Amino acid sequence: MNINITSIIPTYFTPASSEVWSKDFELIADGKYLMKAASGSGKSSFFNFLYGLNNKYAGTILFDATDISSYTEIDWTALRREKVSIVFQGLRLFPELTALENIQLKNQLTNYKTETEILAYMKQLNVVELAHKKAETLSYGQQQRVAIVRALCQPFELLLLDEPFSHIDDAQIVNATQLITEEVAKRKATLIIASLGNSYDIDYTKTFLL
Amino acid sequence: MIRTLLNKQIHFSQLLFFALTSSLGLGILLVAFQLFIDTQSLFSTSNDLLGNQNLIIYKDLGRNNAFTPEEISTITQQDFVKKVGGFTHGTYRVVASVSIANYSGISTEMFLEAIPDNFIDIESPEWKWKPGAKEVPIIIPKNYINLYNFGYAASTGMKQIDENLIREIPIELTLIGSSKREEYNAYILAASEKINSILVPESFLKYTNQTLSPEKVNKVSRIILDVTNPSDPNVLDFLNSNNYKYLKNDVQTSRISYFLQLILMIVLGIGILITVLSITLVITNINLLILKNKQTICQLHFLGFSRAQIAKVYHQISYKILGISILIAFLLAVVCKFTFAPYLAILQSESSSFSLVYVFAFAIILFVVLAIYYTKHTNRKIQQMTAINTSLLTSEI
Repeated sequence: MNINITSIIPTYFTPASSEVWSKDFELIADGKYLMKAASGSGKSSFFNFLYGLNNKYAGTILFDATDISSYTEIDWTALRREKVSIVFQGLRLFPELTALENIQLKNQLTNYKTETEILAYMKQLNVVELAHKKAETLSYGQQQRVAIVRALCQPFELLLLDEPFSHIDDAQIVNATQLITEEVAKRKATLIIASLGNSYDIDYTKTFLL
Repeated sequence: MIRTLLNKQIHFSQLLFFALTSSLGLGILLVAFQLFIDTQSLFSTSNDLLGNQNLIIYKDLGRNNAFTPEEISTITQQDFVKKVGGFTHGTYRVVASVSIANYSGISTEMFLEAIPDNFIDIESPEWKWKPGAKEVPIIIPKNYINLYNFGYAASTGMKQIDENLIREIPIELTLIGSSKREEYNAYILAASEKINSILVPESFLKYTNQTLSPEKVNKVSRIILDVTNPSDPNVLDFLNSNNYKYLKNDVQTSRISYFLQLILMIVLGIGILITVLSITLVITNINLLILKNKQTICQLHFLGFSRAQIAKVYHQISYKILGISILIAFLLAVVCKFTFAPYLAILQSESSSFSLVYVFAFAIILFVVLAIYYTKHTNRKIQQMTAINTSLLTSEI
């Protein structure tokens, strides 16, 4: 998905000058971008703008030449099923469901992956043995990996990852980044990762300092 | 899976409370509706405790005691007066004779009066007369029958008669006016508890007055009034200041009837209040069910579940509960119908099981109306909750 951004800036707080706020830039399909930022600089706000949870910004964001402010709630719902996937900073898993149920909940919207494929993903991220454990019993790092698998279980042209590896050890990060970059390449999607500092050894198209 | 997820937060006790409050309100509505249908005949007849009350007024004897047209128009203009009707009397002599087999004929002088048909407390299609007809229906006071049965018949050993039998007695009326004399056959249509006079249809009296004594002017010496409450001080003040007389008994009965109406109003008011409160409680209950799942609902929506998909779970819950409540309420109305039936029979209210069909139709209408209302309310709540910028997710900067 090609994203054109023209001088956007949140209207509910004034962020410090950066390479994102009030600047014009383009994020292209198949591109991988890193948003490097200190806490409180507006990473999650930027992701929320792109995910349609928040529209309190000035400026314009275009998805494939369409202004996203013109999208209705129904458009956004369709977009979230078919085109844009996200790993929230707060993960947003359902604690009362098992890891697998959490993933299936998302997957059943499009029936994009079979259970075997899902379990294969989980195995790759070393959480397959936790498939039938309730999400609330998992460590935060394990939850992060479940959330990453969940984000991959839908078609997407834009993948937003908000500090996805903050509680994962280095060995697992290598696994995770490998899986993510493979999937993104396969789907020719745009990848945006937000990070507090670490760049996780990914070959980025561009790094923005936020 | 979304249903299981959303239902996890809902407790059985909460649904039970939902169903109870809903049944209570709907039950009161249906029972009231069913009672209303069954007591329709009480409300619509004129000889009832609940309708408007009649008051018959007249002037003192010994003076010219006819009402002038000015006086009648003054009475008509009073706020408390709803309807005014004058008593018309025949301007000719009447001789009635009855011939019963095995008895010598009885013959008596009598009189005829008429009041407007809408004051008559007897509902019968036979209460009519057209020029040319030879047969006239008559209404007599119930007192007359009682006097005959318990007085005359008892002491002379004659047969007692009831209202059905009395219809069979053939009466011959001879009307002797100043210019003409005519004969008619008459029969007693009914006995009235309300009006103490011998009544014939107004059309008959007008016609005979005109043909038999065309030169005589008809005077109105008694007036019947339709008032909401005859014991109202305004009514009594007006009557006293004009020196009009009335029967104290009418006013006494009206006090009781007024009291009854007052109590009925209060009960109805409380019923409506309880119903409104119960619907409010149900709405609050739906809000609670949704609010408890606020976070889950938001997350589901932001994962790509549409509002309609989420709302459907709540719609199904409220339809089920509403359906059960309506069923309970309907059963309650049926039970009440058969419990109240003997009491209503005392009030001479005609009721049939057919009224349950109306109640059932009303229950279905209630179900549809409330289901639509609850659906719209749920949709609105979920829309508010998942609206852009209001989500708890946007609190992450």
